[in-house]
Amino acid sequence: MRLAFWLYEGTALHGVSRVTNSMKGVHTVYHAPQGDDYITATYTMLERTPQFPKLSISVVRGQDLARGTSRLPNTVKQVEEHYNPELIVVAPSCSTALLQEDLGQMARSSGVSPEKIMVYAVNPFRVSENEAAEGLFTELVKRYAADCPKTERPSVNLLGFTSLGFHLRSNLTSLRRMLTTLGVEVNVTAPWGAGIDDLKKLPAAWLNIAPFREIGLNAADYLKETFSMPAITLAPIGVQGTMSWLNSIIEEINKIAAERGVAPVCMPELRKFSFDGQSAPSGVPWFARTADMESFSNKRAFVFGDATQVVGVTKFLKDELGMQIIGAGTYLPSQADWVRSQLEGYLPGELMVTDKFQEVAQFIEEEMPELVCGTQMERHSCRKLDVPCMVISTPTHIENHLLGYYPFFGFDGSDIIADRVYTSAKLGLEKHLIDFFGDAGLEYEEPGMADVSSIGTPMSHAAEAVPPSPDEPSMQPQSLNGEMSWTGEAEKMLNKVPFFVRKKVRKNTENFAREIGEPVISAEVFRKAKEHLGG
Amino acid sequence: MMPVSSDCQILKEDNVTHSFCGLACVGWLYQKIKDSFFLILGTHTCAHFLQNALGMMIFAKPRFGIALIEEADLSRAEPKLEEVIAEIKRDHNPSVIFLLSSCTPEVMKVDFKGLAHHLSSDTTPVLFVPASGLVFNFTQAEDSVLQALVPYCPEAPAGQKSVVFVGSVNDVTADDLRAEAEELGIPVGGFLPESRFDKLPAIGPDTVLAPIQPYLSRVCSRLNRERGSEVLTSLFPFGPDGTRAFWEDLAAMFGIKVDLADREKAAWEKIRKQTDLLKGKKIFLTADTMMELPLARFLKHAGAEVVECSSAYINKKFHARELEALDGVKVVEQPNFHRQLEEIRATRPDMIVTSLMTANPFVGNGFIVKWSMEFTLMSIHSWSGVFTLANLFVSPLLRRQSLPEFDESVWLEGMMPSAK
Repeated sequence: MRLAFWLYEGTALHGVSRVTNSMKGVHTVYHAPQGDDYITATYTMLERTPQFPKLSISVVRGQDLARGTSRLPNTVKQVEEHYNPELIVVAPSCSTALLQEDLGQMARSSGVSPEKIMVYAVNPFRVSENEAAEGLFTELVKRYAADCPKTERPSVNLLGFTSLGFHLRSNLTSLRRMLTTLGVEVNVTAPWGAGIDDLKKLPAAWLNIAPFREIGLNAADYLKETFSMPAITLAPIGVQGTMSWLNSIIEEINKIAAERGVAPVCMPELRKFSFDGQSAPSGVPWFARTADMESFSNKRAFVFGDATQVVGVTKFLKDELGMQIIGAGTYLPSQADWVRSQLEGYLPGELMVTDKFQEVAQFIEEEMPELVCGTQMERHSCRKLDVPCMVISTPTHIENHLLGYYPFFGFDGSDIIADRVYTSAKLGLEKHLIDFFGDAGLEYEEPGMADVSSIGTPMSHAAEAVPPSPDEPSMQPQSLNGEMSWTGEAEKMLNKVPFFVRKKVRKNTENFAREIGEPVISAEVFRKAKEHLGG
Repeated sequence: MMPVSSDCQILKEDNVTHSFCGLACVGWLYQKIKDSFFLILGTHTCAHFLQNALGMMIFAKPRFGIALIEEADLSRAEPKLEEVIAEIKRDHNPSVIFLLSSCTPEVMKVDFKGLAHHLSSDTTPVLFVPASGLVFNFTQAEDSVLQALVPYCPEAPAGQKSVVFVGSVNDVTADDLRAEAEELGIPVGGFLPESRFDKLPAIGPDTVLAPIQPYLSRVCSRLNRERGSEVLTSLFPFGPDGTRAFWEDLAAMFGIKVDLADREKAAWEKIRKQTDLLKGKKIFLTADTMMELPLARFLKHAGAEVVECSSAYINKKFHARELEALDGVKVVEQPNFHRQLEEIRATRPDMIVTSLMTANPFVGNGFIVKWSMEFTLMSIHSWSGVFTLANLFVSPLLRRQSLPEFDESVWLEGMMPSAK
């Protein structure tokens, strides 16, 4: 048995609710003890849903178990009366799954038509959020997708877009913008915003777009086998990724167009994809070639998250921004093989596969990358270490549910990712100035580092100074390896090092001192370390 | 629905509601008891709940964690926690470890008492705290934590008459209550809990227990039974009305007669602007934190019309004075949310006090809401809390007045594509 503090993936019940909360006319009933519907708060608070998520709990109390009574039939009946959904999904939680009850029988005894009831009971001790979401979505597609005539004009389904997905709305907007420019219609987006009728008409589209490794692929496979619908499973991350994605769509559409004797779709002039219709669709290719960005060539980046994002972002950083990848990892063991195969040749070592955030934090502390792309947990870990971090993957928190347009997909997404890399990492001419002049005349108060970004010059790319958020009351930077003592003189020398690398220099010096067996960092040890580490 | 008493009508429903389980109390208790560790024997669900619903991020060394029951552990006769306990002691060196139960091990019929006893040592007791959602709602498991502490409270000798305040509050509020009591001439024996395990108050036959949170009935009756301590029966010290009654009744138990009528009047005067706004407003409290009875009573005395006051657990003895003060108000225990939703749509209350899970959707339906959880996290006790308490209720009303007109058909479009 292990001691856990925080987990990357949610529970099976969370996966189920992500799908059902995405859909119209589907109501979920949790057969679970008080409080297991806490998941509702993630929708009402993170997505700020203006309507009630269609989730009800049928409370299981200890005394019910003792008496052998179940409220489930009555709850299902109430849900039917109050909301009249098209489908009621009944799901157990971890504790009630152990009771091995016949939920189907119990739900049917509510008197509600069995056609309307679907029991989705996975083993919550084996199946987590993504697998449960994928499983339920696939079940729903199998249950409802029906033969129907293809749309007249070229069309696609967007599969796997799900409540609480990473930058979901913006990604959808980005894809829809590009499809509109291509002249391709969206037949159905699912599960996000889809009703049962939408699932029925999925086979009307010419092809399926399923960009996520985590959800939508199995449904796309099923639709391919059963309705011969081709599927594009690339994720349009980065300019290169987006170009491949567009070309694949055009190729597949045109195969069908040829069969049907319809005019083919052509790649429009790329400027058509830009916002104003008269510019390059993305600034990234030029940006990456500018002298300013030269300093990126040896920036060391570490990437961690789910499968889709980690692969897309790692490739983007290396191939398009010319960064050095010092490592990557995922918290999804079932996707590890796929990530490994995709990132072959990109990583200097093994792919990190772990669901323990402490191991990821440990790696970051040891390596002190110049950029970490991770989840909210890595952002949190990096704050303690003063390592620049941008969030690129779920799990998210409220900071990833902003109002503005911040896609990660498509041309628009490429610009967003590049901007975030740029504003997260410390770079450019300013870095040289500070390196050369020490603190460049700006002595920052530590800790706090007050408002660094307000000290602006036209070429200032000052480090992002994140004020500690109220949820982190007393965050003292800490060394996991314990502190070493420094003489006053050595401390003074350390203070001449630019503030944003000070922590890293401190750590490297301490490591060096340990190596040579010096218990205390004196001015001499510090000088030696500086020499040894190349200034 | 069944009426449970003739003199005080409480409707009892089926608890199909949106609220949290007892584990929620970890959120404030681990911060309150600074030399403690809260260990939950639970599942992925428990961990996900704490990190999501309570928005807890992990500090360098959090003083709470989950001994994670995974599939392989299901077949084991008894969970093996020795290594986890050793890890906690190594990293945190706590004075006490609270071992909280959750639903899955309860269903597995884990012998928690035996387990806690087995893991305990003289230097670091491991105390069993029943907290699972099979029995406990939200704040209720604080009652279990306090009960676990009872054997570690020294016996106060007979004749040592003093008050022990029961309920966790922050240190500022505690200092405030202590000063107020001393000013009235009431000797203070301490607080249950104190901010450290090794500073628990002595409790004996001449201790007066003054519950300062409305969800702690069991620990009070247990101390009454085991130590012979008397339990104050009064209003809870929220609002001018509750605070006056609380101190007057407490003083009376020490043979001190005080009349706080002027103090109450001044306190109402201080919040006149707020009560003017609350007057005649229809307010609905859905069940969540079990603070509902005293909050509704304050609102009623402030001139508001409480349309419904629902709570997950009502104890007719422990809450007697609050229920009496709520005479004429519809009081529901373990309400049904579907029914509440229909009534709210029909009666159109001016404000709804409700959970994190339901707040934004009520706003989307055109209502003004207040998060019920805020009342458990703000200093609203006694005289110094009056202003904060009143403001918590009026700020959503004022805020709404100051926002521009809102056309739902325009500004909610596409916000929730799954909504019809």
